[in-house]
Amino acid sequence: MQRSNTYIIIFSLVLTIILGGLLSLASVGLRPAQKIAEELSAKRQILSAVMEVDPNANVLPIFDERISSVVIDSEGNLIESDEKGNPVDAANVDLEKQFKLAPEERMFPVFMFHEEGDPENITAYIFAFYGNGLWDNIWGYVALETDMNTIAGAVFDHAGETPGLGARITEQQIEDRYKGKNIFNDQGELVSVDMLKSENNPPNALDEHNINGLSGATITAKGVNKMLENYFRYYLPYIEKIKGKDKKIARSLN
Amino acid sequence: MAETIEKKVVKKPSEPLLSKRRKKFVIDPLSDDNPITIQVLGICSALAVTTQLKPTLVMALSVTFVMIFSSLFISLLRNLIPTRVRIIVQLAIIASLVSLVNEVLHAYAFDVYKQLSVFVGLIITNCIVMGRLEAFAMGNKPYDSMLDAFGSAMGYSWIIIAVAFFRELLGSGKLFGFAVFDTIGWSTFPTNGLMVSPVGAFIILGLIIWVQRAKMGYVEQH
Amino acid sequence: MELINIGIKSIFIENMIFAYFLGMCSYLAVSKKVSTAFGLGLAVIFVLLFTVPVNWLLDEYVLKEGALAKWMPAALGDFTEINLSFLQFIMFIATIAAMVQLVEMVIEKFSPALYGSLGIFLPLIAVNCAILGSSLFMAQRDYSLAEATVFGFGSGIGWFLAIIAISAFREKLKYSNVPDGLKGLGITMLITGLMGIAFMSFMGISI
Repeated sequence: MQRSNTYIIIFSLVLTIILGGLLSLASVGLRPAQKIAEELSAKRQILSAVMEVDPNANVLPIFDERISSVVIDSEGNLIESDEKGNPVDAANVDLEKQFKLAPEERMFPVFMFHEEGDPENITAYIFAFYGNGLWDNIWGYVALETDMNTIAGAVFDHAGETPGLGARITEQQIEDRYKGKNIFNDQGELVSVDMLKSENNPPNALDEHNINGLSGATITAKGVNKMLENYFRYYLPYIEKIKGKDKKIARSLN
Repeated sequence: MAETIEKKVVKKPSEPLLSKRRKKFVIDPLSDDNPITIQVLGICSALAVTTQLKPTLVMALSVTFVMIFSSLFISLLRNLIPTRVRIIVQLAIIASLVSLVNEVLHAYAFDVYKQLSVFVGLIITNCIVMGRLEAFAMGNKPYDSMLDAFGSAMGYSWIIIAVAFFRELLGSGKLFGFAVFDTIGWSTFPTNGLMVSPVGAFIILGLIIWVQRAKMGYVEQH
Repeated sequence: MELINIGIKSIFIENMIFAYFLGMCSYLAVSKKVSTAFGLGLAVIFVLLFTVPVNWLLDEYVLKEGALAKWMPAALGDFTEINLSFLQFIMFIATIAAMVQLVEMVIEKFSPALYGSLGIFLPLIAVNCAILGSSLFMAQRDYSLAEATVFGFGSGIGWFLAIIAISAFREKLKYSNVPDGLKGLGITMLITGLMGIAFMSFMGISI
């Protein structure tokens, strides 16, 4: 159908306004639900480093009851507010944005898992990690027991690793391999925990600082290793501080 | 989806709701005139999400939703749309519907939303949607157009679900995330890494096309 | 260095066809002859080279949360909270449609022969998933303007290489004895799969 230019312009304008209006309505209406979905997904991930989390459960009350958090810099000092003076909340730290900064300028969130309603009685420290995988970014949370040496649990996620190969880092079975491993050697030096090259290493090749790797996804595994080692280094001053505190308490008890 | 169709029924005593002619709209695209295997349309965005059944199912539902409603709107507006800008009008309506799907997934199915990432947006450029709008909805009544869209969407859905079934089963030994081979006691099942890579999708789809075309005796002329 | 890396990645490793299946429709439909494939490939490179940066500007200065605050005078109000990203799909596809129209006019003017042979497939570039796909990937990955341009160009070249290669295969295929059911689409899919395996060997390369 041939129509005049005026008709075409009016038709386009009306259509644009109607569609734009409807979309804005939908977007504004759904934004709260989207925010909640994002928050839930992030908090579920943090919690799953220390406990079994039902993927459909509402974890927000558990999170509020059992997690307290701090934000630190690479020297291990607490950060209270960002450059604009707004207070920072560990749960809102955008890890990806921080990853793009130089390590000295980054903010690092640390979550403390404690007994219900008792923030003094900490059972694990959960640290956030971020790094490069094969295709895209990978990140995760690793929990340390209060000796600041033994890994209590780990959870990883990725933006675009190969499904079935590198993407397996999100599998429970692989994350569980980290449980009970130590990040410090007997001399007290930080050595982190490495994934080895193959999946079927003989048991005597494994010690407390390494685990079986991912067959077919060596580069992703290397990315995880590098991420863990880098970030444990950034957290080291803070870890030492916590350890020091414990020693002081231990000494005062003696 | 069937409920939505029934709601929009235009009362027309002369022709039954699912007359022979109308049944053809739905049945044809399932095999004889399948949009993927015969018409070679809409392969683009779909295959990338077929590594697992769950996102594939969500993708199929999203495409069905977008197709049915874009066909409805275009068909309702078919006498008002100026010919010269019809492509952009179609694109605008499809893009709005897809944005809507995207927002809803973001709010209520965040896991799948993250998995599908940009591929929801790519429904916009799925040639089947545009193709049906151009070829059918622009010249037919709303109810017929919706049936036609539903048929094509189903033809598309069963193919990608079939591809996903084989890719998830052979690639990771699972169906809907449920470890099938472990359960039946065959825990040493050798999963094929190639199946989860893009290559697997091409090969599985190539084979499905072969089987289907051989069955109906369709031969492409060069 | 990062730019070269992104370039190589988008051409070989994350090839639009072999890794993301984007732009399959025209890839399958227009790959029967090398000469037409060549023309379409060039058109895709051209469109990608321009749409990705243009969409980057749109995303950065209009759509993202707080994007409007970057240039709107503060006197008009506080724009830092405004997030228009729900309009992303519509805005991107509109830019693409406009750019395609432009390319169509340019080709019609300067190369009527090419225009004739590309025929109805030129408007189809607008619905070529590779174009919209690159824009969406670019937005999702937070590239800078330079990175976005390189990414768009690289994706175009990757797509160009893929369609040239497959059309060369298909020209030769005419002389081979393919089973009836596999003729055309089926065998093309299988060959694409094999080419994908070849491209997988680029995996993990970075500079």
